Amino acid sequence: MLFGRLHKNPIQLPVKPVEKWVYTTCGYCSTGCSLEVGVDKAGKAVTARGVENADVNRGKLCLKGIYEYEVFESKNRGVAPLIRKDRADPFLETSWDESLRKTASEISRIQALYGRDSFAIVSTGQIYTEEFYTLGKLVRGVIGTNNYDGNTTLCMASAVSGYKRSFGSDGPPGCYDDFEHTGCLLAIGSNLPEQHPIIYYRLKEAYDRRRFPIIVVDPRVTMFAQMADMHLPITPGTDLVLLNAMAHVILKEGLEDKDYIQAHTNGFQDFEALVDQYSPEMAEPICGIPAKMIRKAARIYAGAGAAMTIWTMGINQSTHGSDGVVAINNLNLMTGNIGKPGGTSLSITGQCNAMGTREFSSCSGLPGYRQLENAEDRAFAADFWGVDARHFPEKRGLTETDIFPAIERGEIKGLWLIATNPMTSMPNSPKIRKILEQLEFLVVQDAYADVETAESAHIFLPAALWGEKTGVFTNTERRVNLVRKVVEPPGQAKPDLWIFTQLAKYFERAKDMPFAEASEAVFDEIREASRGRLCDYSGMSHDKIEAARGIQWPCNDKNPQGSPRLYTDGQFKFSDGKAKLIPLPFIDNNEVPDEDYPFWLNTGRLVEHWHTRTKTGKIGNINKFSPTPFMEINARTAEKLGIQSMDYVRVVSRRSSALVLAQLTERVAENAIFIPMHYYNCVNRLALGLLDPYSRQPAYKQSAVRLEYVSDQAAAAKSILNERTY
Amino acid sequence: MSNTETGLRLKSQHGTTIALDKDYPELVGAPLVINDYGCTPNSEANPNRYKQHGFHFNADNCIACHACESACSEKNDLAPHMAYRRVGSIEGGTYPDVTRINISMACNHCEDPVCLKGCPTRAYTKYLEYGAVLQDPEICFGCGYCTWVCPYNAPQLDTEKGQVQKCNMCVDRLEVGLQPACVDACLANALDFGVIDEIPKKQQDVKLTIPSFTDPKISRPNIRFQLNQTLPESFQRLDDAPVRYEQDTLQTKNAATDGDAAPHYKIKGKKSKSPVNWGWDKLRSREDPLVLFTLISQFAVGAFLALFLLPKVSSTAAELFSSKNHPIAMGLTLFTIVALQTFGLVLSTLHLGKPQYFYRAMNNLRHSWVSREIAAMGGFYGLIAAYSLVTVFPVLAAWLPDVITNLLPTVIGSAASVFGPLGIYAMYRCYRIPARPFWDHWHSGAAFASSGFILGSSALALIFGFTGLWASVTVAPLLRVLALFFAGGLLLQGVALHAHLRELTRRGEEAAISRMLMTEQHGKIYRLRLMSWRFLMAGAILFSLFPPSTAGGMLSWALVFFIAVAHEMIGRALFYVSVVPTTVPRGFFWGNQRFENLARTSGLAERPEVGVVMHDH
Repeated sequence: MLFGRLHKNPIQLPVKPVEKWVYTTCGYCSTGCSLEVGVDKAGKAVTARGVENADVNRGKLCLKGIYEYEVFESKNRGVAPLIRKDRADPFLETSWDESLRKTASEISRIQALYGRDSFAIVSTGQIYTEEFYTLGKLVRGVIGTNNYDGNTTLCMASAVSGYKRSFGSDGPPGCYDDFEHTGCLLAIGSNLPEQHPIIYYRLKEAYDRRRFPIIVVDPRVTMFAQMADMHLPITPGTDLVLLNAMAHVILKEGLEDKDYIQAHTNGFQDFEALVDQYSPEMAEPICGIPAKMIRKAARIYAGAGAAMTIWTMGINQSTHGSDGVVAINNLNLMTGNIGKPGGTSLSITGQCNAMGTREFSSCSGLPGYRQLENAEDRAFAADFWGVDARHFPEKRGLTETDIFPAIERGEIKGLWLIATNPMTSMPNSPKIRKILEQLEFLVVQDAYADVETAESAHIFLPAALWGEKTGVFTNTERRVNLVRKVVEPPGQAKPDLWIFTQLAKYFERAKDMPFAEASEAVFDEIREASRGRLCDYSGMSHDKIEAARGIQWPCNDKNPQGSPRLYTDGQFKFSDGKAKLIPLPFIDNNEVPDEDYPFWLNTGRLVEHWHTRTKTGKIGNINKFSPTPFMEINARTAEKLGIQSMDYVRVVSRRSSALVLAQLTERVAENAIFIPMHYYNCVNRLALGLLDPYSRQPAYKQSAVRLEYVSDQAAAAKSILNERTY
Repeated sequence: MSNTETGLRLKSQHGTTIALDKDYPELVGAPLVINDYGCTPNSEANPNRYKQHGFHFNADNCIACHACESACSEKNDLAPHMAYRRVGSIEGGTYPDVTRINISMACNHCEDPVCLKGCPTRAYTKYLEYGAVLQDPEICFGCGYCTWVCPYNAPQLDTEKGQVQKCNMCVDRLEVGLQPACVDACLANALDFGVIDEIPKKQQDVKLTIPSFTDPKISRPNIRFQLNQTLPESFQRLDDAPVRYEQDTLQTKNAATDGDAAPHYKIKGKKSKSPVNWGWDKLRSREDPLVLFTLISQFAVGAFLALFLLPKVSSTAAELFSSKNHPIAMGLTLFTIVALQTFGLVLSTLHLGKPQYFYRAMNNLRHSWVSREIAAMGGFYGLIAAYSLVTVFPVLAAWLPDVITNLLPTVIGSAASVFGPLGIYAMYRCYRIPARPFWDHWHSGAAFASSGFILGSSALALIFGFTGLWASVTVAPLLRVLALFFAGGLLLQGVALHAHLRELTRRGEEAAISRMLMTEQHGKIYRLRLMSWRFLMAGAILFSLFPPSTAGGMLSWALVFFIAVAHEMIGRALFYVSVVPTTVPRGFFWGNQRFENLARTSGLAERPEVGVVMHDH
C-alpha cells in the first residue's frame, strides 16, 4: 500500500496555460529584475518567471515579482476619468476630453491669476523614462512652473545631492558585480535582504564563493545585521559622527590612499582638520558604539584593498542625509575606492525608476543631468525642444517637501499629482490632509481610484500600470531595461505618456512643439538628448536593450555594451575633473526621546510591501504576511509596560497618534520601536520629518514617541478596520 | 552523526534504505502519470529517480524573504489562505545580541508517513519515484485527520474547498530535471533538495533536527538541516503558540561527549499572566461536533451493553429490560439510543468538508484507525437499529421460522455487543497520536470507556427507575447495580485523570503545556469539574447504598444524571481544546492562530487579501 499506486487516479497538478512570454522589467524596486509574464490564449496574464540569462537577477524573483502579474487583476483600479466641482461632491465619470480640458484650463487660470509658479506638479519614480522625459518637456517647455518635483525627494534626494556635492554629478558609480571583487562591504542604513532581496542574493552568491568582511550599521538587528561579521547598533541619526570617526582613524593611522587623494580630490586639508576632532572616543557616547569597534571597522575597511559602501534610507531619510552620503563618498575617496572593481559608493535606490526621473524628468533641472543654473544647458534644451530659453527659470524651484508648506502659505493654489500618494507617504499626514484641502484645484493621476490622496482631488485621471504600456526603467546600477506591454489597461485607463501628450494639446504654447506619442519615438529623442552626457543612451534602442537584458549607461560608440562603473579614470564632473573631500560638522538637530516621549520611533519597509500598499495591499498572497499595522517593540520593555503580543497599543507623538499591534522582539533596543511605513494613517501621523538642508528629504526615521495601553481592544480593532480599505 | 560521507550512503540516518525500487520491481520503469500525461522515464535525466529525496534547509542562511512560499503558492495556484510551504521564526538572546532563526518548511515526505496511515479515504500514496508522499484532494473528503497526525502541519485543510491539500514535491518539475519551485526560488542559499542525506553543494551538514523541530522519531521525516551559528539559551516564537524552547544543558552535555556540538532544546510553556481562569470563550472549537459524536457513541455503547447483557445475569434486569413487560419504556430507550446515535453520526459526517463522500471513510481499513472506527461504529449502529426493530416490533420477524425469530435478537445483540466496544476501542486508537502528546496516553481510552459507563448507567437508571415506580416493580437491586457501574466509571475516570496529569508532567514539552492550559487557562472549569466529580461520586455511593424507591428519590437521581451529562460535556470539550500539537513555528501574522482569531472577530478576515478564512467551521 505504501507504494501501491496501481488503483489510484493519475496525479493532477495545476498547469498555467501560457501561450506566450512577454519580456518586462519588474515595476517594484530599483533592483531592476528581468521578468517574463506568461499570457494565455485569451491574453490574460497567468504566471511569471525570472529571466535566466539576465545579469541582474539570473532567473530569480522576490515574492513581489513572483506575484506581480496579479496587479493586472487587482481591485479598485481607476477605469474612467472622474470629475467634481467641490470636494464635498461625489465624483462623476467624465470623458478624457472634458477632464483634460478642465485640467489645462484650471492650470492656465491659476497661473494667470497667481503667477506661473502658483501651480505645482509632483510626480514619481514609478513611470517609464519616456514618460518622465515627456512630462519634463510638458512642464518645463509648456506649463512653465518651476515648482515641479518628484516623490524621489522622499527617498533618493540625499543620494542625488551627496553625489553632486562630491563628484559634480548625480549617478551611482558602482554595480552589483562589485560584490564579486570587494574586500569589505559596509552597509549603512540598508536592510538589503528585506528591501532588495535580489541584490542580497547577488551579494550572498559572491559571499559564498569568497568570504569577505561585511559590516552592517543599523539600530535594528535585521537579518542582515545578524549575518554580518560586525554589527554596529548605532544610535539613530548619528551616522555622520561614525563616518567622521572612521575617517579619523584612517588618517591617524595613515591608512588612506595618499596618491589617490593627491591626484583626484580637492579639499583634503579642511577635511583633515575637521575629522581630527572626531576621535572614536568622542564618537562613542554619541553613536553608542564602543571606540574599539569603530577603530576595528575603520581598519578593516581601509585595509581591504577594495572596499565598498552601500546605503539606503537609513542614511537618506535623515536631517543630515546629504552629509551622510558625502561622508560615505569621503570615506571611499580617501581610500581610493571609487571607480574600481569592488570599490564604490553605491546607493541602493528605491523605486523602479527613481533613476529615470533623476536622469530625464527635468524635475531638478533639464534632461540628461542638465542644470537650470547652467546657461549652456538651458540653451541646449531650448534649442532641442524649440522653446525660448528665457522661458526656463534660472534656478531650481521647490521640492515636494517645500511645495506643501508653500500651499499652506497660499503661494501655491493648484497641484497635479502623478503616481504618488502623499496622503500616506508624507510625514505628519494630518497636516498634509489639511494642506491638500486648501488647494483650489487638485488633479490626481493614478492607476488606483482608491489612492488616499484622491479623496481631496477635483479630477482623477486613470492611468495604466506597469506592463500595460511599453517603456524603460533605469535601475540602481544604471542599467536601462525594458518593459513590454503585457495586457491592455482596464476600461478607459491610459498610459501616462498618452495623458501627457494629450494634455499638451490643450495648451496654446505646445502648438509649435512636437510631442512624440509612441514610446520608441520618445526613446529616440532621449537618446539624442543624452548624447555625450554622463547618462549617455546614444548606443541604446528598445530592441538592443531587450536582447542584452538591460544596458548600463553610459552606452555610446566608445562603450557600445554599456559601462559597469563610472569614474574609472578618476575624472569627476567638476570643471577641474577632481572630486571634493568635504568637511562635515555634525549638528544634532533631531527630535530625540525625552521624559514625555521616551521611545525612538524608527520606520522602514517590509519585503512584502510596496509604496503605500496601493498595489501590494491588494495581492493576498503577499499582503497576508503583514496585512495590518504593527510595531516591533522590545520584549522586556513590553513586559514592563504590561503589553502582550498581539495587543493593540496607541503610539503617540507630538504630532498625532496611531494604533498598532504589538510584536514582541529583541531586534529593537529597549528604548525604540519600529513601525513599517506603508500603512495609510499610521506611522506618518507620528513622524516629524525635519528636512535635510541640501536635499530637502524628510527625516522619517528619527522621531520620539510614547506608548499608551489601549483598554478597549475590540474598539481598537474596529477602528483599525474602518481606517483602511486595504 | 551529523557529517556523513557523500555518495556511498545506502541507508538514511533513520536506518532505512534510500533506494526504494527493491521491494517493488514491478513498478520500476513505469511512467509517473501527471495530468493524464505519462512518459517513459528517462533514467539518464534522473538516475536517482527511485531514491528517497528530501529537502535540505540551512537555517543559518534563511532571511525570511518568503520567496519559497510564494513560488510554491504561485505554482500550485493557491488562494491566499492556503500554503503548502510556510516560513516561521524563532528568536533568542537580548538586544543587540539577538539570534532570529527563520524556518521554511513544507511536507517532509516521511519514511513512515503517518498521514498516509491515518487517512481513512486512502487519499495518500507514497511513490517510489523520489519517495514523494502525494495526496489526492479529489479522493479526500476533508475530515482533517491527517492534519492531526502530521507532526509538521504539512497537510492543510482548506475549509472553503472542504478538502486537504499539501506539498507535491513538484514531481512534475523533478520529472523534467528541475528542482522544486521553492528551491529554485530561494534567494539566500538556504533551501535545497536532493537524495536524502547527500550533502548539497555549498552545505556541510545533514543534521536530523534543529531547535523547534519535532522529534524525528515520530515519522522519520526526510528533511535535513544545517545550523552552525552560536545559539542562545532559549528561543521564543514569533507566533503566539504557547511554547518556547529552552536549552537542555544535560542533554547538550551528553550529546557533546558523543561528538555532537549542537545544543539541544526542550519545549517549555510560555509563562501565563493570569494563572487560573475560566476560559469559557476558548472552550468551543472546530471539534465541537466531535464532542457530541464521541459522547453519544460512548453513551450508546454503554447503554446498549447494559440493556443487552445485564438481563443475562440479573433477574431484576431481565424483568425490567423487557419489551414484553415494558414495551413503551424499552421502545423509548432503544429508539432514543438509535436516534441519538443517528444524530451523532450525522454530526460527524457534517463535520467533513465533503459529507457527500462519507462512504469513503472505510477505504483504508488496512492502516487507518479512523476507517476501523467508522466501520465498527457503523456496524454497531446498524445492529442496534435492527435489534430495536426486532425486539420492539417482533411482528416484523414473525413470518420467519420460530427458531430464527427466537434467536434473532440474541444474535444481533451479541454482534452489537462486539461491534460497539470495538468501535470505542478504535475511536480511542484514533487519538493515540504521537504528534498530539496530550491524547497519546491510555487515559484517552479510559476516558471514553468511563463515559460509556457513566452516561449509559445513569440514563438507564433514570428511565427504568421511573418505569419501575410507574409499574410498581421493585427496582432497587437494579438501581444499585447501575449506581455501582456509575461509580465504577467515575473511579476509572478519576484514576485515569490522575495518571494522565502525572504523565503530562513527566513527559514535559507539549504535554506539560497542555496540562497548563487545562489547569490554568481553563483552571476554574477544571476545578469545577473536580467538584462535580466528587458530587457525582457521592451521589453514586449514596444511591448504591440506598437505592431510591420514591418519586422524590428518582428526581434527585435525575439531578445527578443531568450534572453527569454536563460534567461529561465539559470534560470532553476540555479534552479537545487542551491539546497542544507539535508544531512548526509560524510568523507574527501568517499562520498565527491568535491573529487569525483576531481577524475573524474584528472582521478583517472578510477581506480575502488578509489570508484568513472568515468562517472556519
